[in-house]
Amino acid sequence: MANIVKLAEEKFGVKHIEVRAQKLLKTMLTVKEERVEAAKEGIENGIAIRVLFNGAWGFASIGTLKTEPIIKALTDACTMARVASSSIKNPIKLAKHKASEDKVVAKARKNPAHISIEEKISTMTTIARTVLMFDRRIKGCTIDYLDSVGTTYFMNSEGSYIEQDKLYVWAKITATAKEGDVITFSREEVGSTVGYEIFDSETPELIGDRTAKRAIDQLRAKPPKGGKFEAVLGPNVVGVFVHEAFGHLAEADLALSGSIIMDKIGKKIASDHVTIYDDGTVEGAFGSFKYDDEGVPAQKTLLIKDGVIVGLMHNRETASKFKVESTGNARAENYRVEPIIRMRNTYMAPRDYTLEEMLEDVRFGYYFKSFRGGQANLDGTFQVGIQEAYEIVNGEIGEPVRNASISGNTLETLHKVDAVGKDFELWPGRCGKGQTAFVCDGGPHIRVKEVIVGGSA
Amino acid sequence: MVEAPKEEDVLSLAEYVVDFALKNGAEEAEAFIHYSFTRTVSIERGQITKSASIIDQGIGIRALIRNALGFAYTNILEEREDAKAAVLKALKSARSSLPDKYWQGLPSKKSFKDVAGIFDQKVLNLSSEELVKAASAMLKSAKKTDKRVLPVEGSVGAAHICNAIVNSHGVSGFDQGTMVECSLAIVAREKGNVSPICFEFNMERSYNLNPEWVGHEAAKLAAASLKTKHIETEPMKVILTQFALQQLLTYTMLNAIKADYVQRNQSALQGKVGEKVASEIITAYDDGLMDGGIHTWRFDGEGAPRQKTPIIEKGILRSFIYDNYTAKKEGKESTGNSTRAGYLSTPTIEPTNFHIMPGSASPEELMGSVEEALLVYSVQGAHSSNPVSGEFSVVATPAFKVKNGKVEHATRGVMLVGSIFEVMKNVTALANNERKVGQIVAPWVLIENIKVVGR
Repeated sequence: MANIVKLAEEKFGVKHIEVRAQKLLKTMLTVKEERVEAAKEGIENGIAIRVLFNGAWGFASIGTLKTEPIIKALTDACTMARVASSSIKNPIKLAKHKASEDKVVAKARKNPAHISIEEKISTMTTIARTVLMFDRRIKGCTIDYLDSVGTTYFMNSEGSYIEQDKLYVWAKITATAKEGDVITFSREEVGSTVGYEIFDSETPELIGDRTAKRAIDQLRAKPPKGGKFEAVLGPNVVGVFVHEAFGHLAEADLALSGSIIMDKIGKKIASDHVTIYDDGTVEGAFGSFKYDDEGVPAQKTLLIKDGVIVGLMHNRETASKFKVESTGNARAENYRVEPIIRMRNTYMAPRDYTLEEMLEDVRFGYYFKSFRGGQANLDGTFQVGIQEAYEIVNGEIGEPVRNASISGNTLETLHKVDAVGKDFELWPGRCGKGQTAFVCDGGPHIRVKEVIVGGSA
Repeated sequence: MVEAPKEEDVLSLAEYVVDFALKNGAEEAEAFIHYSFTRTVSIERGQITKSASIIDQGIGIRALIRNALGFAYTNILEEREDAKAAVLKALKSARSSLPDKYWQGLPSKKSFKDVAGIFDQKVLNLSSEELVKAASAMLKSAKKTDKRVLPVEGSVGAAHICNAIVNSHGVSGFDQGTMVECSLAIVAREKGNVSPICFEFNMERSYNLNPEWVGHEAAKLAAASLKTKHIETEPMKVILTQFALQQLLTYTMLNAIKADYVQRNQSALQGKVGEKVASEIITAYDDGLMDGGIHTWRFDGEGAPRQKTPIIEKGILRSFIYDNYTAKKEGKESTGNSTRAGYLSTPTIEPTNFHIMPGSASPEELMGSVEEALLVYSVQGAHSSNPVSGEFSVVATPAFKVKNGKVEHATRGVMLVGSIFEVMKNVTALANNERKVGQIVAPWVLIENIKVVGR
């Protein structure tokens, strides 16, 4: 790697170059009902070169760790940068960053690479059996399991050299139930950077029961009314709201692209109760890592403090534009692609309410407990699909409600948060922004004076 | 530049791998080799800022021992030893896995049909400078259209893709194609008011791009989306453009036609072949052989020939889409719908080009045919639909109120609520403006009576 950096400087006159390499082993399982569709293993090794030349980026990646093709990739990256820079008006600059040398070693108690495929199959089929045996109305169960274990290498022309073990364990479990014409669907995800020991606390029985119970409960659920309602959001829904509705707008690249956050920095955009972090340092969480893919240490970044937006998530490029330091949010899904600004573990900080206190003042509203998916737009319009919801009637949780979704304007909704709970949960997930990133999001229960509820047809 | 693989070299490697698997205990074996070389020029915030060249290749191996399937892949193809190591991993996985009592073998050899318009030498010959030129033209056109717009991100890219497959039942195939695209996402800003992201693109198999048109259309849409007015909550006629239709279908109906979903009780269309599942004006094919189709290839992800399969004829459900496994389970033949994510995965069932046949009305005539309608360009949150029941509750954005054939004003944050299967029954007219978007090829569709939650 050191040779490549030197060659880029000497032969191509490149001032800034980053080289990333990856050695990775993956194990995957697909289980449908109790049938193992396939047990899969893969090797993904490769190298990526990124150069900054005359203010434009050139990038090349190739699946090899051999010298000759890598030098070709370097030539490619330099040529591509030169071509891209031909029309640059505002040259890209990088915020200064002190070079680091480090070696980060994974310390899993149960490294998935040392767990046999048989044991992984047994864990997953136990989950499947638990789901299927839960109730005769359960009609299907699909499980996708993935673990990936490997090492990434980072080097740049400023003298950084970082070797980092990477370890992920993830599973997605879905169940469907049917009674008459009603079909329901339930999804759970498990994700950790700790190790296979995640299944010691999240046991197959617990995961299976949780997934199946929701699908069954939803069978007797009624459609929600459409319109504006008071709502209590559970930590799982708060997480996706914080991530989708606010988080993406506070990614500095999207802020610069015109998200509604841009002219609000330093201003009050939420009620006093709202404090939000994006934190790459939560031990073992799915979105945690020590250094990002520009070699910057991950940190705990305060985004909103008591309703005031105080920071954004940066890479070195956007940090330079804002004259701040990078927050360590530059992440690449793998060696094939370049790092972009991504969230890590994003959450609302807890306060002092209990769930009961939040519910007791609600005469009619909804309790949104678990989400199915969410999406936001730069104009601040968000949508969160809900897989588990209940009516709130006279301060108590009532009948289950199915296929609801909530939407609104992020800033209006953040101002309407009038109570924040003292509990706290973080949920693992995967975020798509062209590339997939492993993240967590969460928070406590919160109450919102008004959200728009998309009712059923 | 690393050279594109030659047909005889990849087939010889694939044959070697299959043979090695059989010699080491596999009862059946298959090798799938995938190569792609992609060059992209990217736009960020109004200027061209980067350029990338990505070479990805690898081999995926399926091996069967006592009807248990093992799979392994590697992206290191430099030495035969690397591929052999992957074979041994696949065998180890198969030995560790559980037998599948429904397994009836890998596909057997069948002849492939010829396809047209999927490979263009011009795409391979495009220089990086030409990609930059197209990106500049797109940007210039957008800025010329309206001063209030900011092209947030965009790209111009060209790719060369090769696939090869060999299995132990005599299947052997090599195919190559090209892909070229340009796209632009734009927001418009005026006095603290921000439009939603508005997107336009071209994606073609041959060098047939119109970057000026893409820039112009995206900018026009963003500028038009700036000024919004409130609309009431009520059932409305809705016109879905291809983007919105594609988003709503992808997470619901396009799953419901997969034989795997049907056989596993996860499809709302189960048991409905021969029944009316859509308006009688709907006829749709899964056309894996469509000229120049985004998903057109000679063979599918396990070497079965691609074909054109009638799915819905005049509203009547005719067939589901099958891979080899699900077809054999019902004593049928694969419809050629097995799909791979390159070399990285075992095959899954996916539609190819889901072609909803167009009608005769121009888009203007379609808008003019109703007193009032909501014209929806895109929806937010389609992926949170109930994938089995087809129920959705999404935000329509950008969307416009249309009155007497004229676009009156944009709306903001309006929700659409319904079930995709009801939507398909309530299609009352189809325009003549079909285009390719993702897995669908379709025109604008007019739908009666969708619940619109106003804002």
